[in-house]
Amino acid sequence: MAEYAFRKIDIDALDEDTLLREDLVEPDPRGPDGVLADAKRKSGEVRTAVAQNNIAGALAAILSDPPYGADVDEARALTISALQLILNSTRSSEIAATLKNLTPEQQDHLMSYLYKGMAGLGSKSGAGGEVSGSVLLTWHEKLTEVAGVGCIVRVMTDRRTL
Amino acid sequence: MSTPEAFQLSLGPLTGVAFGPDRTEVAISPNNNEVQIYKKAGETWDLQQTLSEHDKLITAISWAPQTNRIVTCSQDRNAYVWTHTAQGWKPALVLLRINRAATCVKWSPKEDKFAVGSGARTIAVCSFDEENNWWVSKHIKKPLRSTVLSIDWHPNNVLLAAGTAESKAYVFSAFIKNIDSKPEPTVWGERVPFGTICGEFSSPAGGWVHDVAFSPSGDILGFVAHDSSVNLVYPSSPGAPPQALISLRTSALPYLSLTFVSENTIVAAGHDCQPVLFSGDESGWAMSTSLDSKSAAGKPAAGGRVVSGSGGGPGRLNSDAFNAFKTADSRGQARPASSAGSASGGIEVGADGLLLTVHQNSITHIEAYEWGSGGSVSKVVTAGKDGRLVIWDVAGKK
Repeated sequence: MAEYAFRKIDIDALDEDTLLREDLVEPDPRGPDGVLADAKRKSGEVRTAVAQNNIAGALAAILSDPPYGADVDEARALTISALQLILNSTRSSEIAATLKNLTPEQQDHLMSYLYKGMAGLGSKSGAGGEVSGSVLLTWHEKLTEVAGVGCIVRVMTDRRTL
Repeated sequence: MSTPEAFQLSLGPLTGVAFGPDRTEVAISPNNNEVQIYKKAGETWDLQQTLSEHDKLITAISWAPQTNRIVTCSQDRNAYVWTHTAQGWKPALVLLRINRAATCVKWSPKEDKFAVGSGARTIAVCSFDEENNWWVSKHIKKPLRSTVLSIDWHPNNVLLAAGTAESKAYVFSAFIKNIDSKPEPTVWGERVPFGTICGEFSSPAGGWVHDVAFSPSGDILGFVAHDSSVNLVYPSSPGAPPQALISLRTSALPYLSLTFVSENTIVAAGHDCQPVLFSGDESGWAMSTSLDSKSAAGKPAAGGRVVSGSGGGPGRLNSDAFNAFKTADSRGQARPASSAGSASGGIEVGADGLLLTVHQNSITHIEAYEWGSGGSVSKVVTAGKDGRLVIWDVAGKK
């Protein structure tokens, strides 16, 4: 494979003005503290809404302006656990109707969390620890039916990782 | 609906497509360092001439309709302007001064200059220097931070749109003294010295911008990105945020190319292997229809209709045994896939292992091919990684 070795050369090594990964993402205007306060408030809202069986409202709340980027680990953990609560307490017959009411942006965010959940499945303390693979797959199947493969492509391109 | 005309020009991808002034000639590169010029002869396209001057893959070709000149650019960091003489096409080297591959090239509407996008985070705007008798370039560098993937000219010959890998589309001024006269004020700006940034727009979910296009009036900018989005920008006034920035998050695979059919209609095509019509205005846009109608489903799309170029294509070899071998080779399938199309935007495969679309691979290029009496586009042409050139009827479609 020697003829491909040149592909691993860092051609930007001597270039001062290189584009870094961070440059491609604009930081959240709310700042880390604002994001955390927001996540706490939404996580509370979700618990109330789920208790009242208002899944659509809960999902819409948690998927609006989710935390992204660096320095928001706590807010991210809160959001994920609130979302897992929703995923686990929705009857599978209601999923499709719930998804149709989401905006395309919210659908993209949900897809992103589903993949994140799948990534965490293997590890015991991972992000997907509290939700089973079959639940994730059911949501994934229904979401793909509603939002199409475009939604999956957007999860892969978006550098604002949730 | 008339059926699309499909022509197999090459077995591999077509990496640059440009039509001659009367649309009966086409210059393509079959994914290598050569340009092939085909001429339409009835039902087929015949190879006329091969231009070889570049020493690496040719990335784009543009053919000026009035002055009949071809410009090609390549990964060898060079561009050549080809002029037609009695002895055939003669190249002239352009001084691009870039240190990475050139990725895209386009003649300006007046054909007195052209722009070359490159991986060197630069757009080279080239014009002819009479004194020295060669093509020189001026660079737009700021604020580009990544590869320029696509460019398009505004009809006023001055403004230039660029799509980049940093997931942004820009509108720049490419005004060159002594060549351009002072342009009329447009919605994009009034005073526009070279390099002025007249607009900067992001794709909604971080996808790099595959293609940009101005509407026929130049008052709308459309761009498609790798996050499967189709975006339309209606500028309000210079410096102010746009009056409307419409981002459609589509459910399909990403679009690689787009062109305006009218102020209210675009055709976009890409990894879904079919051109799709979108229509709307500043209040909103929506996908309307695919030009590749699924009524063709059931019969092997285009399989029997594809006309081979003189180079010979798989059309000649289109037997069951050949197809079975081909699927085994390219898809790792021992048997052709059953015709179970996947749901929700997935690509459907016919019983013979061919796609149900006319194009058998991603469409990388789309442009207007024929105009109707009222100046509206009546036909568009697409080219793709399957080496096919397909002409589609869009007249009367909305």
